Order: sequence, then structure tokens, then C-alpha cells
Amino acid sequence: MICIVQERRPPARREEVGVQSRDVRDCSKGTLKHELQRGGSDQPSLGSFGATGIGAPRSVLARERARIARAMLADCRFCAHDCGVNRLADENGLCHAGAEARFFSAQTEVADERELVPTFNVALSGCDLRCDFCITGASSWNPRAGAGFDARAMAKQAKAALEGGARTIQLLGGEPTVHLPAALEFVSWLPETVRLVWKTNAHGSARARELLDGLFDVWLADFKFGNDACAQRLSKTPDYVRVVKENLLWAAEHSELIVRHLLMPGHVECCWQPVAEWLAGNLPGVKVNLRSGFWPAWQVARHAELRRTVSGPESARAVDLAQSLGLNLIP
Amino acid sequence: MKKHRTKKNCESSGESQVSELLILPDGQILVHNLTPAFAGLLHELNPDDEHISSRVTRHSSPNL
Repeated sequence: MICIVQERRPPARREEVGVQSRDVRDCSKGTLKHELQRGGSDQPSLGSFGATGIGAPRSVLARERARIARAMLADCRFCAHDCGVNRLADENGLCHAGAEARFFSAQTEVADERELVPTFNVALSGCDLRCDFCITGASSWNPRAGAGFDARAMAKQAKAALEGGARTIQLLGGEPTVHLPAALEFVSWLPETVRLVWKTNAHGSARARELLDGLFDVWLADFKFGNDACAQRLSKTPDYVRVVKENLLWAAEHSELIVRHLLMPGHVECCWQPVAEWLAGNLPGVKVNLRSGFWPAWQVARHAELRRTVSGPESARAVDLAQSLGLNLIP
Repeated sequence: MKKHRTKKNCESSGESQVSELLILPDGQILVHNLTPAFAGLLHELNPDDEHISSRVTRHSSPNL
């Protein structure tokens, strides 16, 4: 048996949030930075800048937001860690990411959800979580891994992949949220109609969501841990469950949503069960991809229960639970 | 468990593509970063495996 491991909004929605050209010009003059400094952690939302561009093409919105996102690096609060460091001045938060993005993989793949493949996957280096079992840990924990990210050149590569048969373009990591400026700039160079997938750990902030609103057709979001104790122990992430739930509820309202859960050995009852029950109760009908191909990698030696793959009985129990709750499992 | 990393150079683009395999003692194979080309190879090795056959597309081209 071979087991795969890997882990649109209609145009009308794109009209609802946007940024006026005037505001973008202001940003380039440092006004946004001034606002951020003045406002401290109380950053202005995109809504406070008004709404451009009724019916503006995705590329235009993405380009404007990329500029805003770059300015927001001066007080980075893209993820729920809410570090507030000035990445433009070489300060590093918990993700250690600087101002410029790098990538460690860009290729067409077929291991993702069947409805999305073949997909051109662009994996940006760096992540705000520290999952000891991360299959790409060496690159995901290190934002300096890989090569420099040239958004325009990568878009050209993506277009070639589309011409070669790819159906979607997916931005992932690491975690793409920590590189929002580069991610948005990449989107600005892509064809308007291509189906875009935002593959995320669902640990982003409300500010990040506002910048992303309406640009990606599908949010492919992880719900890894069913409780904060496991999240803290395995990924050093506090307040995980609340943040992820908030992101999932938002994503379900604003785009197509697929929730992924990577089944971990020894974590069916503590992690999968509460995740499954919450999804059944709060996002009924949402597409769920239960991944059973746990690959013991990276720092799993730190955790006895993670030094093996998921057993057949564990996998069967997890599927039974999903079915008993009526979850909409997809391949 | 044996880990295999495979690279395929694409003549057209000069880019390399990477898939990774983990072969378990029970014969199960875990695959990470599955490219269309490698999926095609696995499909040839085991045409009956539905996990792979469902992902082998007709769109495969040297660019993928």
C-alpha cells in the first residue's frame, strides 16, 4: 500500500475589502508606518483605509495589499504570536523571519487533496510554529533556507506549470503567513482566473486575514491539535485551539475551506476526537481531509509516542469516529 | 525504515523536482512531495494501488 503523506471567492466578495490607491500612496510615504507606531498594537484595519477598487481585479488588490503588508513588517503581527518586532530593521520574532522571503520548494505535485491536484506548490521558508514532527522541519524552522523568492519570476514558473497541466497554485510553507508581502506580490503577478490555494497552519492574526480576504479561492487549513497542552508540548504554541478555531470560522465565511488533520500516533483521543467533534458541531459539512500517513521526522525523538507511524487500528478508529460524527471526509 | 530521496531534472526548465519515500518494514510506502512523474512511476510499479492511480493524471508533461 502506498500512502500519501503530505500534508473563490466569487468576484463580488473581492469588492468588499480593498484599499484605496490614495492609501497606498500614503503607505509608500510612511503614513501607514506612522499610524502603526502611533497606534501601537491597535493597528488600523484595512477597512479603516476605505475600499478601492469596486470590482478591482485580484492582481490590483494583491499589489496594493503587498505594499501595505510590507509596511506592516515594521510592527509585525501577522501571526497570533503578536510579536510586534520591526522586521524591516532586522528584528526577529518567534519565526525568526526577516523582511525578505525565501522558498525551499516549487514544483507541481499530486499528493494534495484530489480536487486540487495537480497543483503547483510554492513552499516559503520559515514558520511561526515549532512542530517537532514537521516533515520539512529543516526548511520550515529556518527562514533562511532555500533560495531568494522573486515573486515575478516565480509567477512565470507558475504560469508554465499551469500550461503544463497544473489546475491550481498553492502557497504553503513553512507558513506563508509570515511572508505575507511576498505572497501577496506573487498573487499580483498571477492570472486573474487561476484557482489559488492558501495552505496555512491557521495561526494567523486578524490583520493577516484582512490582507488575504478575497484573494484566495481555497483555504487549506490545518487543525493539528485538539487541546492546548499537546500544542504547547509538540509545537511550543500557546493558546492554539482558540486561534485556530477563530481562523477556521473566518475562512469558512470568506472562502472555500478544507480542513486538514494529520493523525498522529497516540493522539487519536486527545487530538483528533476533539477536533472532529468541534468540526461536526461548528462547521457541519466542511470538507475534512484526515491524513493517516504520519512520517516520523525531524525532532520526533523528543516524544516517545511520535517515534512510529500511525497503526492500522488507530487509523480505523479515527475514520470510524469521523463517520459516526457525519464528517465530510475527502481524499 | 529506509528513506529515499529522488530527484528528477527537467530538461526543459533546468529545475529539479523532488519526491521522498519512506519504506516501512511492513511494505507500506509513505510518499512526500509526490510529483506527477513519480506518481506515474509508482503507478507502473503497482497499478492496483488506488491511492496512486487516482492521482495519476492525463495532464502529465515534461514540465511537471
